[in-house]
Amino acid sequence: MKRDLLVLKNISFEYESDKEILSEINLSLKEGEIIGILGPSGIGKSSLLRLITGLEKPKTGEIFYNNETLCGEKIFVPPNKRGIGLVLQEKALFPHLNSLENVKFGLRGSKASKEAQAIKFLKLLKAEKFAKTYPNSLSGGEQQRVAIARALAPEPKTVLLDEPFSSLDTDLRRDLRNDTRDLFKETNTSSIIVTHELEEAKVFCDRIYKLENANIKEIF
Amino acid sequence: MALLNQFLKNMFRFAPLIFLIILITPLVLVLLSLFGEYNDNWNHLYNYVLPNYVVNSILLILGVSVLSTILGVGTAWLMTNFDFANKSWLEWAVILPLAVPPYILAYTFTGLFDSYGSANELVKTLFTLDENYAFFPNVRNIFGAIIVFAFTLYPYIYLTTRMAFINQSRSLIEAGKLLGFNNWALFFRLAVPLVRPALIAGLALVIMETLSDFGAVEHFAVQTFTTGIFRTWFGMYDLNTAMQLSSILMIFIVFFILIERYERNRMSFTYAGSTFKKTSKKKLRGFKSLCAFVFCFSPLFIGFILPIIELTNWAIFYPSEYFFSTNILNSLFNTATMGLIAGIICTIFALFINFLNRFGGGNFLKLSSQFLSLGYALPGLVLAVGIIQFFSLIDNNLTKYFLGFSLVGSLLGLVLAYIIKAYALANNTIESGFQRISNSIDDVSLSLNGSKLKIFFKVHMPLMKTSIFTSFLLVISEVIKELPATLILRPFNFDTLAVTTYIYAAEERMYEAASPAIMIVLTGLIPIIFLSQLIRDSRPGKS
Repeated sequence: MKRDLLVLKNISFEYESDKEILSEINLSLKEGEIIGILGPSGIGKSSLLRLITGLEKPKTGEIFYNNETLCGEKIFVPPNKRGIGLVLQEKALFPHLNSLENVKFGLRGSKASKEAQAIKFLKLLKAEKFAKTYPNSLSGGEQQRVAIARALAPEPKTVLLDEPFSSLDTDLRRDLRNDTRDLFKETNTSSIIVTHELEEAKVFCDRIYKLENANIKEIF
Repeated sequence: MALLNQFLKNMFRFAPLIFLIILITPLVLVLLSLFGEYNDNWNHLYNYVLPNYVVNSILLILGVSVLSTILGVGTAWLMTNFDFANKSWLEWAVILPLAVPPYILAYTFTGLFDSYGSANELVKTLFTLDENYAFFPNVRNIFGAIIVFAFTLYPYIYLTTRMAFINQSRSLIEAGKLLGFNNWALFFRLAVPLVRPALIAGLALVIMETLSDFGAVEHFAVQTFTTGIFRTWFGMYDLNTAMQLSSILMIFIVFFILIERYERNRMSFTYAGSTFKKTSKKKLRGFKSLCAFVFCFSPLFIGFILPIIELTNWAIFYPSEYFFSTNILNSLFNTATMGLIAGIICTIFALFINFLNRFGGGNFLKLSSQFLSLGYALPGLVLAVGIIQFFSLIDNNLTKYFLGFSLVGSLLGLVLAYIIKAYALANNTIESGFQRISNSIDDVSLSLNGSKLKIFFKVHMPLMKTSIFTSFLLVISEVIKELPATLILRPFNFDTLAVTTYIYAAEERMYEAASPAIMIVLTGLIPIIFLSQLIRDSRPGKS
């Protein structure tokens, strides 16, 4: 029985006195598990990921990760101290850095070790051939491969994916999805993926939740 | 370490507040003077001179508004909707007059059109006229001032209305044509009303600059608020009455600032509404093409080429003597030093404020930054009056007794005035630089163990190199041109290029005034080049 890596307890959230987006959300993610969050646009899926990464603060509730409290009544661990990877739909590669430098950005250690680690993950994502290429010369799929390599390179136990494949065409999307899932399983990385496509979630995830009316429920 | 972190956190929070207080205090002191005592000088001014200042200022504003609107809107409309001879280079060249401060155009105008000026002499020689005959009318009056301001400031209207015309969808123009409008009707009944907010925003800038000017009106002996403030202070040595006059001018200016802000907001609203379809250009040929060229070339000729010719004419008489005289080199050194100091402080401060704002600095910080940006529109003379009063208060109660030196007459006042005046330029450039960096980049950086400082130095700074450099240059060019505040706040014997030009011109030593004036115009060209690039890259739907 795998242990719970990430636990969300009674998380509620709203944007500056607006109506509540998330209400009393409870969710747990096991080590090496992949969870999918489904729901229509604007329902709060991305907000949920932003709360887990620490980019937003919840109104109430607690978040535990790897047996530590990330967010509680008087505790708030900033995003850069959480060790949780994030991949967004818009890739957000640093335009002034080439692919290799992008992947190296979040790494620590000697120059040589950072280089080796970055190349290793570019290879795993089949992106080593454009290591020296700048983002503006890469296709959408290639950019997303680099973005995923960058999120995985620091070897976080968890990576959050916010609609990472939605801007890609069908074939590319399938290939990258399969490669990413294989890599997650191979490295025992747990993940939460936000998507609005049920079929994609079924192929990619171990469990699937649906977000509706500020509440979450397991559907698969 | 924790203590250091706490200190840094508090410093980040209070630094903008302290800066804001330093900025606002001189202006508040100026305004408070309205509620103080009114002495005999005020009564004299009120009864005999103030009505004259008000009437002249209103006439000046009206004349400049009409003429600069015709020039600005006319050129913008022609450039956007027609193809004609030499348009490709005229498109960016028409904004070159912005590099010439009104006071420099005023000096060259009198050099050209006075009875024995170069232009009159040329006409007399060409047509063998009597040597005492003056072909061109006297320009040392309010009409001369109107021409000078209109021909140096019309690019503000050109820039704002050009953007608006560019953003006008072809569908709207086509709808007008289908309704039977000819070119004139399209211009007056459709295009102009649609760009009205842009026109008013540009016009407000022109009026603010006109009201703030001191050098040109003083040279043409036109009595306005700024000349009045200067004379009350330096002629009557009455700081209190000078502040009271400044208050009235400040109220006028704030009124136009509010109009400009309001109309600028409406401009963005207007653009958002329609689906953009690129405006097609009509090709003009023959006489029509010539007319369009002459219309667009004339303001460039009068506002830029003519003064450059006259300045060059003066300068080539004794180039080595004047360009490399100790006096000019000292002025150049002083100007460069002040420009660099103000450029560095303004840019760092704008980076600091905008970086904090990007990570949720709070409403107070945003408001502070907006307040600081208002300094750009305030006349240098009003700023100088406020700063002198502010420093006198500190001197009389603190520094003189406890530190043994005086702030009044020190370089600090000058630096403060430059920062207040130029902060908006730095802030606008840095703000738009930050806006071009997606927030997702920050989100991802934070998730990659990136501290905020690391993001700032490794991501923001490299991506904003151009913005930082532009901000730095814009501030320097503003500092180089600034005359009235420098004239009043400079320490004894501390001359800048603007002051040297002013002093030589006031003594009618035009040959000597030419070299610092040319240096001012050349540095003024730097931001213009950036603006030209912006115009070229600004069309929506551009591939």
